[in-house]
Amino acid sequence: MSRPDAPPRAAERLLAVAFGRGEWAESILGDLHEEFIVRALRSPASAARWYWIQAVRLTSRRVLVRTKDRRTATAVPGALSPNPGDSIMRTLGLETRYALRSIRKRPAMSAIVVLTLALGLGANAAIFSMIDALVLRPFTLPDADRMTLMSYLKADDIDKRVSPADFLDWKRQTDVFERLTAMLWWDANLVGRDEPERVQGFFVSADFFPTLGIELARGRSFLADEETQGKHHRVVLGHGLWERRFAADPGIIGQSIDIDGRPHEVVGIAPAGFEFPMGAQLWAPLSLDSKAAANRRATYLMVIGRLAPGRTLQDAKAQMAVIGERLERDHPDTNRGRVSRVYSLAEGMRDLGVGPILSMWQAAAAFVLLIACANVASLLLARGAERQREMAVRVAMGASRLRVVRELLIESGLLALAAIPGALLVAFIGLKLVVGYMPAKIARFVVGWHQMDVDVRLVLFTAGLAMLTALAFGLIPALQASRPRLTESLKDGGRGATVGASRQRLRRGLVVAEIALALPLLVAAGLSVLTVHRFLYGPQGFEPDRVLTMQVVLPDVKYPAEGERRRFAETAVAQLRQTPGVEVAAAVNVAPAAGNNWTRGIEIDGKPNPDPNDPPSVDFRAATPDIFAALGIPILSGRAFTEADREDSQRVAIVSASLARRYWPDEDPIGRRIRFGTEEWMTVVGISGDVIHDWFMRRNYPTLYRPFKQSPTSEMALAVRTSADPASVAAGARAALRAVDPMQPVFDLQPLRTSLQERTVGLQYIGGIMFVFGGLALVLAVVGVYGVMAYMVTQRRHEIGVRMALGATRRDVLRLTTRQAMTLAAVGVGFGVVLSLALGRLIEAGLLGVASSDARLTAGLAAVLIASAMAAAYIPARRAASIDPTVALRE
Amino acid sequence: MYLGEFEHIVLLAILRLGDEAYAIPIREEIEERTGRAVARGALYTALERLEVKRFLRSRMSDPLPERGGRSRRYFTVTAAGLSAMRSSRRSLLRLWQGLEGRLES
Repeated sequence: MSRPDAPPRAAERLLAVAFGRGEWAESILGDLHEEFIVRALRSPASAARWYWIQAVRLTSRRVLVRTKDRRTATAVPGALSPNPGDSIMRTLGLETRYALRSIRKRPAMSAIVVLTLALGLGANAAIFSMIDALVLRPFTLPDADRMTLMSYLKADDIDKRVSPADFLDWKRQTDVFERLTAMLWWDANLVGRDEPERVQGFFVSADFFPTLGIELARGRSFLADEETQGKHHRVVLGHGLWERRFAADPGIIGQSIDIDGRPHEVVGIAPAGFEFPMGAQLWAPLSLDSKAAANRRATYLMVIGRLAPGRTLQDAKAQMAVIGERLERDHPDTNRGRVSRVYSLAEGMRDLGVGPILSMWQAAAAFVLLIACANVASLLLARGAERQREMAVRVAMGASRLRVVRELLIESGLLALAAIPGALLVAFIGLKLVVGYMPAKIARFVVGWHQMDVDVRLVLFTAGLAMLTALAFGLIPALQASRPRLTESLKDGGRGATVGASRQRLRRGLVVAEIALALPLLVAAGLSVLTVHRFLYGPQGFEPDRVLTMQVVLPDVKYPAEGERRRFAETAVAQLRQTPGVEVAAAVNVAPAAGNNWTRGIEIDGKPNPDPNDPPSVDFRAATPDIFAALGIPILSGRAFTEADREDSQRVAIVSASLARRYWPDEDPIGRRIRFGTEEWMTVVGISGDVIHDWFMRRNYPTLYRPFKQSPTSEMALAVRTSADPASVAAGARAALRAVDPMQPVFDLQPLRTSLQERTVGLQYIGGIMFVFGGLALVLAVVGVYGVMAYMVTQRRHEIGVRMALGATRRDVLRLTTRQAMTLAAVGVGFGVVLSLALGRLIEAGLLGVASSDARLTAGLAAVLIASAMAAAYIPARRAASIDPTVALRE
Repeated sequence: MYLGEFEHIVLLAILRLGDEAYAIPIREEIEERTGRAVARGALYTALERLEVKRFLRSRMSDPLPERGGRSRRYFTVTAAGLSAMRSSRRSLLRLWQGLEGRLES
């Protein structure tokens, strides 16, 4: 990290500032250097730490001793006053001591300020850490910034994939990349030694590991000729998998293990912690046979490039654009409209929703901090009023205004500094909660998720932000306090109603600002929470309760033909149906909320597609007859599938209501024909209800169902509707499937409710975090209102006493005080509504377009805010009403 | 002018070290002989004060590579320093006179 042969340079600079440039400085720095070298031989890291400690100690001692020396020497009683010509260090030292004394004198108030700041800063620190981990540096790969992710798809396709033939052409034609490597998702069924298990694997080009700059922990990576068919049954095991399933046995290298029904030779073990991409634990060579290698239509490869030395991302973009256009000209039938894109790895692998969500969180966190600042500023203003006399005396004695401002700012700075540990604690706890709540299954898709932690960057960020904050909340009170009207303040002030009027106005302004900032936050929070609730517990189009689902992926070796797959589904469903507790059982290629999807391009009979190469896409489901009953999807008209829909009977389909509406807007679709690409026609026999397959991208999306027997897929989910708690049937269901094929791994065996929870976890995060921010904003705003009102009541005691003596009733006083709070809250809410409207777009983007601002919600939350403000004002108002005029007037 | 206890200790250490008296060995010498930890900052403050009082004289060595090209500051006790030590010691001894019995227990 740091240079082992020299002390940390920043620490040296600190010492140089404290000790200047003379011989003393030279000898002290030299001594420390000498001792540092001796220590560095033992441990460079601890030597650097030691040096820092010494630097801080010596510096602080220097500052304090010098100021003490001078003070006793000049012996001006009580005047902690720098003399003209003093060094900056000495002046700052004096002023720091002075500020410390003033902070210690008011412990309660200082504690409130520090606490408020810690909350505001902590919220921001936590969000910064998330942005840092998820957006700025999501990968632990050695040269992540030299890596790119590519895609070559139609301009409107947001996926990032490339067809095999295009990939191979790229490899031949480009020179901006040192290497290009391809990856393909692989659901690997691992058998033997233990329960069969489904493991996340990837087929990768032979140079995958070198491209990423990864050295294997043991064994070797793939050889170039292991991409050829027949030699490609090799695997590299993930470190975790190796430890868990193979007891970290080094002898496994060279041995053969059974994956997908075929022996694979283990050639290497990945280093610990390497799980790229998406939590992969198995890698095998990507072997493209001649047919696949010529395929330009199907885009299924993820392609990663390592930039050649000296080439930049811009170079790559430029060259790939040229190559992309050439390939489009050469192969217009498949490539027309395709655009080549080059992303940095961090950008390319990022989840689509992450950007807008994080911007919303960051904006929210900034709002919370602003509110906290307003609160602290308001407190400091109140204190400034108490110190009016003190300031006046000091200015009268000749202190310059600059000096007073500087001192008050130093005080703010110290308060902000004191809030840093608390802020880091808040951030730490927040991050632990955020990281811990995420199911591991989902976390592996969120690149960089486990990087989130409190680190040096976070500490530096927090410290920097704290200083900025100190300036923000300290400046107004400092300027205000340094401008005392000398004569008024020195004469016994504090009685006349006019004293501090402008200060009161400022404080009221701050409270208005707080409320104005709090409302949009509350609206965003309320909207998020409502949206989460809607997607989690609202209508889904299916019945998620009392349903258990599980997934299988049938390996091609064992189930090469449709017949075998059909038989598997049939027996599995029959076995499940006999399991105790099961009411209905069915199979479907993709279960709702499962996280995967299957789409096909369609053509409607009598309405040929304008571009046959670009047919409209619909979600495709292959399902056994009882699927609608098992999942609780209604059949709106026509019929469900029956056992009579066999491979040799009429080809039929059921379409979702949204599909029917879109393609047969004015007709009854039943009896009409539809087909995939140029396959045989299918007759529509029924219309089903729409479902929310995925809240983000797939709400009520046109869906086409096929009888499983007519389209048997190798990937399937089994769903059973149970009579009791679905979790209680899990063991029975697993046993039932083992009876069908003991070698077949079953995964994601869980209640459908749980899948739904997992699929909406991102949304729950949005809601949860916004809820916390909204709550913080509300609490801070309420505290702000309380502070201002309480202070005002204290200030106006005398006046209220006079009013009461002249006949004002308790009720009058109560009204007088609450009316003021009401006015503040109303004005704040007014601004807040405007702000909410202005920020509506950001909120909608942050909620990924699934929610839109809602006037009723805004009105409701405005009412809540006003009510809270009134409640906060009520306590001081009651105190005002209970003032005894005889006492107040005598004061 | 009287010597403080710590100043006295520092001067003694410098005398013991002879030609090799710069801050690092001075500190080590004190820690070794007295068994108490010495803060670097306190030592530098004392050295600076003693030089201001003219009880110490210092000279800078040639720059040394192991110090990042910086010089060492070597200290010697001046005649004034010696006489201050002497008078300090004398005063203490005189005050101790007749109290030796107390030391026994």
